[in-house]
Amino acid sequence: MESFFTRYRNLLVLLAVLLAQIIGLAVQVRRTDSGRNTLDPLDPTGVRLIRLWADAVVTPPEQIFHAAKLGAVSLWKNYLDLRSVREQNQDLQKTIDRLRLEQASLLEDARQGERLQALLDFQQRYIYKTLAAQAIGTSGTDSSRVFYLDKGKAEGLDRDMAVITPDGIVGKVREVFPHSAQVLAINDPTSGAGVILETTRIRGILRGDAAGRPQIVGILADQRIQPGEKVLTAGGDLVFPRGLPVGEVVRVMPDPDRDSFIDVMVKPAAHLDRLDEVLVITSTEPRFSAEQQQDMAASEALKGPEVAAIKEQQKASQIMAEHLPGLSDPNAPAPAPASTPASGKALPGQDKATPPEPPAPKLLHPLRPDRFTPGAKPQPSQSEESSPPAHPGRNPKP
Amino acid sequence: MRVLGASHRRELGMRSYPLLVYALAPLTALVLQAWLPRLMRGYVWFDLPLLITVYFALARRDPIQGTMMGASMGLFQDALTHHAIGVNGIAKTVAGFLAGSVGVRIDVDNYIIRMMVTFLLSLLSGVIYVVIYRVLLGLDQEWRGLEELMKAVGTSLAAMVFYPLLDRTQIKD
Repeated sequence: MESFFTRYRNLLVLLAVLLAQIIGLAVQVRRTDSGRNTLDPLDPTGVRLIRLWADAVVTPPEQIFHAAKLGAVSLWKNYLDLRSVREQNQDLQKTIDRLRLEQASLLEDARQGERLQALLDFQQRYIYKTLAAQAIGTSGTDSSRVFYLDKGKAEGLDRDMAVITPDGIVGKVREVFPHSAQVLAINDPTSGAGVILETTRIRGILRGDAAGRPQIVGILADQRIQPGEKVLTAGGDLVFPRGLPVGEVVRVMPDPDRDSFIDVMVKPAAHLDRLDEVLVITSTEPRFSAEQQQDMAASEALKGPEVAAIKEQQKASQIMAEHLPGLSDPNAPAPAPASTPASGKALPGQDKATPPEPPAPKLLHPLRPDRFTPGAKPQPSQSEESSPPAHPGRNPKP
Repeated sequence: MRVLGASHRRELGMRSYPLLVYALAPLTALVLQAWLPRLMRGYVWFDLPLLITVYFALARRDPIQGTMMGASMGLFQDALTHHAIGVNGIAKTVAGFLAGSVGVRIDVDNYIIRMMVTFLLSLLSGVIYVVIYRVLLGLDQEWRGLEELMKAVGTSLAAMVFYPLLDRTQIKD
């Protein structure tokens, strides 16, 4: 027995290590009720410890590498700049004289630019609260389209926050670590973003294919979808706010798995393969300053009298409509004159609360009455002459 | 003539390295693997953790050490993705074991042989990865042969750079 373990020691170690990892895989992968295997954890708020360890080991050197790269690039640029600084100095002196003249005319433009910038800042502050972050690393494999940010839970990031650039959406935060975060890009096969085509208003789900190309899946074949159409976020996925640019349609092709469905290939608006700085939407609630909140409260307070005034106006309109003359139905049975007291007293059995009938308007007699004239007798015809009327009681009374 | 046993021959050819190299080389490989694709527009045409696994398994000529090295590198690599943890671990465990087993029988000083072993094990690792995903786990994973071939070629080319550098760090008697 001893010789068996000694002889097959290598193989046994291999089998033991493989078995341990297979058991680990079996613990992670779950089978759903529909018989489909999935990796979704039961508790989406936790982070697997091994991912935390790997992040803690890899992220600090990545940040150092990133900082070193920026420093080296900056150093190299400074060196190149210094090489020809003397010649450039003389040229710059001439340029300064010329620019002083232009400065006066540009000053007005600058003021206008400042106003526009202030407007833009206001708009950005007003809509969503965002946090700028830098992409510092990737997963290292092309089958997992995730990348890492240099901001984490300590900076306010959380799961399922949308990651965007000024060009378009990028992905969503998948895992959050103390000082870094993992982002699942929109071109990963396991991602999913609700999108809508801008002109045709057709909705679908955006995800990546195996090669990392974003495509909209689950769309019924529609001839109106043409290349070049803009794709926006639909806002129904509770991750991306509505109306953000996603990309544009590149190609439409039939779904290989399902008849009458198509796949719409999309060129992403954001440069997913060259990401440096991104924005993480940390809150989709509109932010208001204290003054704006005061204004809103005052506006709400003013709404009370305004609503009461509108109701009063509607009531007056209703009363006027009741008292204004209108066309009466000539076929309706005429009220008995004897039963209508001129003094306005109600008859026994009549509801006292019922208002008296308004007087019928006097109709002008037409010069040439016909069968459609209210109160006119119907024209006699052969059939009517030979047979009595079917509903004599409904005939207009003279 | 004196005939040497297999274990004795292995001990004679077994290389040793400073402890710092054992710690820094895998860490550097993992960090570069995660960082370099950012500079290459997302293309991942190399597998540095596999390269390190194969190198140390060949150099140490020990299947158990190759197994352990491959398992740890693969598990760390898996932890950086959003996929199941252990798929890369199994693939690189097998690669490390095979490299350690082959290291007993081949001339590990020959660069061409080491490159060929790296190329073949890179392809094998890719195949194992997809097979585990599709057969064992029953999840969707597309086999992309061209990309795997490019990755194997890239890893072999990277081996031309990294293997001589690592050779310089070995402790010589």
